Amino acid sequence: MAERIEQQVARAVGSAADAGDAYGRALEAIAVALGWRVAAAWEDGGDPPELRCTALWAAPGVDEDFLELTRSIALAADEGLPGAVWSSGQAHWIADAARDERLPRRAAAAAAGLHAAVGFPVRSERGVVAVIEGFATAAREPDPGLLERLEVVGAQLGQLIERRRAERSGDAALRRHRATLEASLDCVITMDHLGAVVEFNPAAERTFGYAGEEAVGREMAELIVPPDLRERHRAGLRRFLEGGDPTLLDRRIEIEAVRRDGSRFPVELTITRIDVPGEPVFTGHLRDITERLRVERELRESRARLVHASDQARRQVERNLHDGAQQQLVGVAMTLEAAGATLERDPPGARRLLDEAAAELREAIAALRELARGIHPAVLTEGGLDPALRGLVARSALPARIEAVPAARFPATVEAVAYFVVAEGMTNAARHASGAAVVVIAVREDGGSLVVEVRDDGPGGARADGGGLRGLDDRVAALGGRFAVESPAGAGTLLRAEIPCA
Amino acid sequence: MGRRVLIVDDHAGFRRGAARALAAEGWSVVGEAEDGEAGLRAAESCDPDVVLLDVGLPDVSGIEVSRQLHERAPELAVVVISTHEREDYGELALASGARGFLSKLDLSGKALEALVDN
Repeated sequence: MAERIEQQVARAVGSAADAGDAYGRALEAIAVALGWRVAAAWEDGGDPPELRCTALWAAPGVDEDFLELTRSIALAADEGLPGAVWSSGQAHWIADAARDERLPRRAAAAAAGLHAAVGFPVRSERGVVAVIEGFATAAREPDPGLLERLEVVGAQLGQLIERRRAERSGDAALRRHRATLEASLDCVITMDHLGAVVEFNPAAERTFGYAGEEAVGREMAELIVPPDLRERHRAGLRRFLEGGDPTLLDRRIEIEAVRRDGSRFPVELTITRIDVPGEPVFTGHLRDITERLRVERELRESRARLVHASDQARRQVERNLHDGAQQQLVGVAMTLEAAGATLERDPPGARRLLDEAAAELREAIAALRELARGIHPAVLTEGGLDPALRGLVARSALPARIEAVPAARFPATVEAVAYFVVAEGMTNAARHASGAAVVVIAVREDGGSLVVEVRDDGPGGARADGGGLRGLDDRVAALGGRFAVESPAGAGTLLRAEIPCA
Repeated sequence: MGRRVLIVDDHAGFRRGAARALAAEGWSVVGEAEDGEAGLRAAESCDPDVVLLDVGLPDVSGIEVSRQLHERAPELAVVVISTHEREDYGELALASGARGFLSKLDLSGKALEALVDN
């Protein structure tokens, strides 16, 4: 009989969709084989341990009250027939459940006409994982032989259910794998040892323009490798399969790929050999890096412009020094020499020359101060933006006013960039915004950034890629900020810089 | 009356100082010019004995002006001056037909005489 039950249990569990269903099918198989009216599976579902019925099978016509009580009752780990089996780990036989005082459901069992009761453990490698109980209508004395066989069935059932659970979790892992592939923003393309595509995820579909089903089975090289690189790809695969060293595996490389429409684009590619039995299978992860390379190129160009601007500024300083103060100072030196040469023979003339030298020396000093202010105004270092911007406004060729400027101090680089945004904006307005009546300056702290605005009411039409404004953009960007120029024709010009203060 | 000198330099501050220093040493400053073209014209109109010629003129190099002056009047003494002390200025000046090169910082009536009379 045990062999028959075992076979039926195996068949029942094999056809089950999940562990709960497996119990249900196994219960029916056991109950029918043994002539039971009711069969139930109990599992621990609580902390502290608490046994609850997780699957129930009943022959037609069994009293519903008993079934309802069985479904709803919670038993302590050593309570009732399931508790006795759970806590001892052994099968139990109760000759007449309706009369056994240890059983909380005895009255209901009596009312349902259920008497003989059998319980046995379901075991797996984790120990007792469930208890199966069955009730028959007649009172029967224990059958030790049947109890033994039921313990064997319990062990078999435990293994079957565990295996089923493992298979199902394998299915779940596969589903997770698929979901991951589908959600991936990177193209994931898997290729077999012949170079044929076996997997082509949605990102690859979007990027290359092939549907997954039309890509699978075709040679990968033909699909996504540019024509002039295909032979090299095929030769590399052949060389690897013949035992050569892998040149591309497990490395991040940048290479060109080709779309369905023939357009080429740069990708970052990593190829990994998947650890599966049989012929080698390779998975490639590809990412379109067109945008990244564009940003990198812009960054390089912006750095180069900064360096160039800095060199140019140094040359300008040298020129200004040479053409301005230095020539004046040479002239003053020569005037002083002339005064010295005439001192004895023409004291009044010498005196006049000394006065002229002093006046010219003051001019030279003023020129030097102006030059120094253009490099980095001392007032900015000493007093911050407030007095520095007020100084700019005082010297402005156009009427200018300050709408807002924080009295607080900021990092020196932030203050310097903010100052030069205002200075350049005012110079531009004076130079290009003919007809502008006023320049308005507003500097505000906003959420960790310094927001600088310079607005004029001139004719607009300023170009953000002009030398001076491009230079400001680079300086602001170098501090991680943003720079924008709004200059619609006829509506004035607004320069706006957001400079992070941290 | 001392020697007649024409000063060709685009920096007014330097021209003023140079004129006073040379005048104090007895030179007669007969003209000033601020670029090469004006310098060439003044050389004809002012009849100078000596032309002081800055290298860095706004329109044309002082060396080129010196070459043209030498072509027109080989006997005219031209002295090239600059605040830049490039080593090849002396050579370039001589090659253009000038009498020599003087740093502006070393300029004086005596230094000028020494060059012109050699």
